[in-house]
Amino acid sequence: MDINGKDNTGPERANDMKVLILDAVSATDTSPSDASMGRIIENEFLKAGWGVHTIAVAEMDISPCRGCFQCWVRTPGICVIADAGRAVAEAWMQSDVVVLFTPLTFGGYSSSLKKAIDRVIPILSPFFMKIRGEVHHKPRYEKYPALVGIGVLPCRDAESAALFSRIIERHATNAHSPWHRAFILSGDRECRGVGDIIGPIAAREQEAA
Amino acid sequence: MNSQTDVLILVGSPKARSTSASLGDHLAGLLRKRGLSADTLHVTSNLRQEDGTRALLSAADGTDIIVLAFPLYVDSLPSPLVRALELLAKHRRGMEKPPRQRLLAISNCGFPEARHNETALAQCRIFCRDAGIEWIGGLGLGGGGMINGLPLAKRGRAVKSVLASLELAANALATDTPLPREAVSLMARPLVPVWLYLLVGHSGWRRQARKFGALKKIDDRPYQDKVKTA
Repeated sequence: MDINGKDNTGPERANDMKVLILDAVSATDTSPSDASMGRIIENEFLKAGWGVHTIAVAEMDISPCRGCFQCWVRTPGICVIADAGRAVAEAWMQSDVVVLFTPLTFGGYSSSLKKAIDRVIPILSPFFMKIRGEVHHKPRYEKYPALVGIGVLPCRDAESAALFSRIIERHATNAHSPWHRAFILSGDRECRGVGDIIGPIAAREQEAA
Repeated sequence: MNSQTDVLILVGSPKARSTSASLGDHLAGLLRKRGLSADTLHVTSNLRQEDGTRALLSAADGTDIIVLAFPLYVDSLPSPLVRALELLAKHRRGMEKPPRQRLLAISNCGFPEARHNETALAQCRIFCRDAGIEWIGGLGLGGGGMINGLPLAKRGRAVKSVLASLELAANALATDTPLPREAVSLMARPLVPVWLYLLVGHSGWRRQARKFGALKKIDDRPYQDKVKTA
């Protein structure tokens, strides 16, 4: 695995839309069908003509965020840890959509995905602003990618599903994403249908562009 | 009591000196005054060690009460603490008859409003459900930068509501009674007005950037050439 993940541009590429898939599912053994789900998601975007960048976060050597804030006050915009975590932040900013694909873990991201997400804070400003009356960090850039969360569960769990939707909504606000969606897939049948939820998103956004 | 220690405090901040540790240390002191033993384990440094997982599980097995004290990272727990909870849940699910345990979570964030902590505390509650641990409750603190890793006693009146909340929480832990709602509301009480927190915060970021000679670059966009414009 290359330190920056895997770029994939299919033969049918028809536009310059890009998706970053942070895949924390494929390297795990949560369900027999999970390993192929990452490929299905990739293929739906490729079919719609997108450039696809996939990072299998569970296989990457990404150190946890140190909470030092040096990415804000010493090397503004760049994490001081020189490992694959930097590539995640850079790829995030190069994308139109980021897909967070995770085994649902206590209603949120798995530790593998969270390790990557915690390293993305350099894309924000340290300074604060109010959004709908609540304090958040200001954007560092003018434009940010949309956020799509896909959580995989071995069986239905309404409490975890509701929390995941809330986390994606909060995360999208903090990351200045123009729009967000959250999906929960439980059981093999639903998991095999991941293309049915991703396909329309890829097609719609490609048309909008 | 089944344990080597009554209370195990898992500090989730990666920093050696942190607001999470300040909160955990103060609570540990209050518990000792009430006759309970309390140990602290720093999760990030622990999991870096070769036998870190074993040490974590062993420490957790030997306690009646777990306290999670952590900073909010992106609406959730820091990744090493998520990892620790994944390990603990798997460990307890593998036990034939896991011993009774209770858990209190204390989350602090750098935003002035305590409500940012709600999603992270909800995750802790679901962890308890999945691991068969009794959920005592969650305390969320906003404006954690006001404590900034200092001992709470040194912050004095500025953290009066935090101290009062931890007293109530210590009573609940020591007497095996529910966490009073007042403990939650006291912890969530703003330490300073929002406008003052933002003023101090912005000045602090500029001061730190100046120290590193990076003030002029503080709004830099290093990935701008690769960012797509509409």
